[in-house]
Amino acid sequence: MVLEREVFKEFEGVVGVGNVDDSDVITNVYAYNWCMEIINYMEGKDPIPFSPIPKAVVLPSSTEEVQQVVKLCNKYGIVFKAQSTGLGPWNQPSVDNSIIIDLRRMNKIVKIDEKNLYAVIEPYVSGSQLQVEIMKYGLNCHMPGAGPQVSPLASATSMNGPGFTSPSTGHSARNVLAVEWVLPDGEIMKLGSYGLKNNPDWFHGDGPGPSLRGIMRGWAGTKSGLGVFTKVAVKLFPYPCKTEFIVKGNSPNYDFDIPDFMKLYVMDCGNFKKLEKVMLGVEEEEISFMCSYLSGFAVMAIFSNSIESLMDKIPIGQMKTPLVVIIAARTKREFAYKQKVMNFLLNKFKIENIIDKIYTPKPVFYAEALRSNLGLHGFIATGGFQSSKGVADTAAVCLRSTKSNISLKQEFIKKGAIVNDFGEGTWMTSYESGHYFHMECPTMFDQTEENSVEGMAEYMVKSNQLDLLKHLGAPFFVEGTRMHELFGPHMSNYHIWLKKIKESFDPNNISDSGFYISPQKK
Amino acid sequence: MIKRCLRCSICKWIPQLQIKSQKYATICPSIDMFNFHAYSGGGRIIIALALEMGRLKPSQELMEIVYKCTECGGCAISCKFLNTLEPLEIIVKLREKLVSLGYGPMLKQQQYIESIKIHNNPYNEPHEKRLDWLPSDIKIDSNAKVLYFVGCTSSYRRKEIAIATARVMNAANYPYKILSENEYCCGSPILRTGDKISFIDQINKNIDTLEKEGIETVVFSCAGCYDTFKLDYPLEKDYNFKVLHTTELFNELIDVGKLKLTKELPLTVTYHDPCHLGRNSEPLVEWDGEALQMMPLVSINMPEKLKRCGEFGIYDAPRSLLEKIPGLKFIEMERIREYSYCCGAGGGVKSAFPEFALKTAKNRIEEAEDTGAELIVSACPFCATNLNDGIVEKGANLKFYDISELLLMAIGSPGKSIKESSMEVT
Repeated sequence: MVLEREVFKEFEGVVGVGNVDDSDVITNVYAYNWCMEIINYMEGKDPIPFSPIPKAVVLPSSTEEVQQVVKLCNKYGIVFKAQSTGLGPWNQPSVDNSIIIDLRRMNKIVKIDEKNLYAVIEPYVSGSQLQVEIMKYGLNCHMPGAGPQVSPLASATSMNGPGFTSPSTGHSARNVLAVEWVLPDGEIMKLGSYGLKNNPDWFHGDGPGPSLRGIMRGWAGTKSGLGVFTKVAVKLFPYPCKTEFIVKGNSPNYDFDIPDFMKLYVMDCGNFKKLEKVMLGVEEEEISFMCSYLSGFAVMAIFSNSIESLMDKIPIGQMKTPLVVIIAARTKREFAYKQKVMNFLLNKFKIENIIDKIYTPKPVFYAEALRSNLGLHGFIATGGFQSSKGVADTAAVCLRSTKSNISLKQEFIKKGAIVNDFGEGTWMTSYESGHYFHMECPTMFDQTEENSVEGMAEYMVKSNQLDLLKHLGAPFFVEGTRMHELFGPHMSNYHIWLKKIKESFDPNNISDSGFYISPQKK
Repeated sequence: MIKRCLRCSICKWIPQLQIKSQKYATICPSIDMFNFHAYSGGGRIIIALALEMGRLKPSQELMEIVYKCTECGGCAISCKFLNTLEPLEIIVKLREKLVSLGYGPMLKQQQYIESIKIHNNPYNEPHEKRLDWLPSDIKIDSNAKVLYFVGCTSSYRRKEIAIATARVMNAANYPYKILSENEYCCGSPILRTGDKISFIDQINKNIDTLEKEGIETVVFSCAGCYDTFKLDYPLEKDYNFKVLHTTELFNELIDVGKLKLTKELPLTVTYHDPCHLGRNSEPLVEWDGEALQMMPLVSINMPEKLKRCGEFGIYDAPRSLLEKIPGLKFIEMERIREYSYCCGAGGGVKSAFPEFALKTAKNRIEEAEDTGAELIVSACPFCATNLNDGIVEKGANLKFYDISELLLMAIGSPGKSIKESSMEVT
């Protein structure tokens, strides 16, 4: 189904010839995404990796063009779905009568304010691109677990965005400052200090007047269900160590000059109770660059670049509750202090660092940690994985969620639907030096096997039910009207308010609500 | 394999750990030019899947997207840092499939394939003029067991490279012969378009000729010919001779003292890795193992099947040559070695989509200019043509030289005059 010619011409008039395409080939390619087969199965459709096909794909190059495109969508009743780097089913249209607004041409770093620690970026600046430019000022940014190739703007405005460096860089939802936002009706909204009438600037996320940050993104983000974000200021942080980033050799066997003041600890805490104490102990000291609990299998994976190279890491895989901590410092004195604290904690909790005793990782591991590339190692076993859960709470609640999930996961492991991680496959990290924690349950499956896809989808549904039964909160992939209506009644009826927000901003439901929520009246 | 793309977009960037600036972070000329995801390595995998599933049918539009790719293989390098997909192989197969279905190659490509069939070169030049580049003072040893395979581009379009290569070998008293009327196109321009049947004809012609001549070693100054002989020929037909690129040979000749670089060249130089000499010339390693199921859904290759990530392409030989030239200052660009940015000419793009080729070349020239170098040097006549076009189009002050031309200057021969003479024939 293509656009009517006159409508196509109008879009073309806004974005220019060659920047709108409604051919079968282009639109089919944009209908594909990772994990769409799971979404389709959950919705009772064929478990194929394709969503509804958009009618066209539009490539605007400025906020004004986005505004005009959105206004045309309203004029003709065409649903729009915006995407930047485009990883994940959240980028997919949920209805046939839609277009995709691909923000790829909006790729500028607008401003780096090294004194006030923020950068202003457009949608198609990748995490790595931002990081290398701010490293020149001795600064770092937060990158989501999805990897450095994705858009920090998308994560900050529209997703949750935990990452491996969350102890020191928070998460995307908390790093967003001022925002430029094209609302579903085409009006441009400037949030935070950028909205000031006099001397607008990007340094603050709230005001003027009441903050709209909660409406703009809430906890899980609206996934293009409430307009298009065209610029955002994100917080920056001091780079944790020296900024020289010297990678030598050839892919995949890169060598890396490990910065002088950087050290890795991998410790088996033995059980969840002790894990909680150790994590809290480390984080209370505010010394970690990275602090993650991973299953033994996952720790093997972050040190490997292929399934075959997992094999020499079996002793790591046998660890019961491994905790991975990286400390990094800019001075010898700071480094000595952090090491001293870590030694104190190791003695206090009677645990041992296996690094350089049982296993010595290749230097490239440190490069990947600094560039937040570790999450992508989740794909090396089968090529497919997805997470259930997504708790943001205390360490105790995160671990309760972890424990409660083990027997459920084992049920699907027995069926051969998901990969055997003994049911323990969990990633848990602190946020902001342990002020609160994140956990999710990465689960490996094979997207090319129908039984595995179906099993994975059923597991995720049951995992959600378990969250409700055990009062563990909503998963961070709580998305779409059905899911919100499932969890809302158990969580202060938040879904009713969400629907009201959607209705106020987008009564005609033009901004694709497939991964957000439908308006109240629809 | 085509069902496993994550749509992660890693194929659009150089390997994440190698990104040094926002400006030069990308790897794929096609997505850089055309922007829609379909023009990326991952996008073309989705096209292959959609064709396989019957969601798409071959069409002119589909064909154009598949052919607007230089087949540089940069996407595959980035993807395979952690994954096991083969985007380049999928693109090659996709083109072969389109040709088998009556779609493709592109019209301009069909024309040069026809020229190869008639004239043995893609430039519609008379075969009998193939040796016109050869100056009378160059010594050819008709009894030598080493053959200099000149290639079509150096024979007809970049004669200065053929001349410089021949003179450098002469200067080292390295005996070699050339095929006079029996040198035919290596077939690379045909293969890259997916016309495998026509390509196999070229393989047979060339291998039969070389074996009849009793050749033991073939030397190439063209990265494309070299890669095609080294990797693609053995997949179809075995041969018994050794293949060498001139950058490898010249290093050997310097190391054993046969070639002496005596003249100072006070130049600041950067080097462009041709895709065919760098990442794509990495040898194919035959794997004779089996996939053992370690646990449900997880298989492991025993023994380990090595991923071709470009690690064993030829990168050090040209750099070593540049470092051996007295007085020369060598500076690297940001995108080098296995993650080098393509010149823009490959995969049939130069003929079918010249604007795309030119824009890519300008991008690469800008990267070279940003190093502060006054010369960009490479080791492939096809890159030479496109990068030179990029220099002209951009109005850049930078000059292009083939590495053989620099060596010729460094041994005391007048390189500038070679360059000037070549201008008449390009």
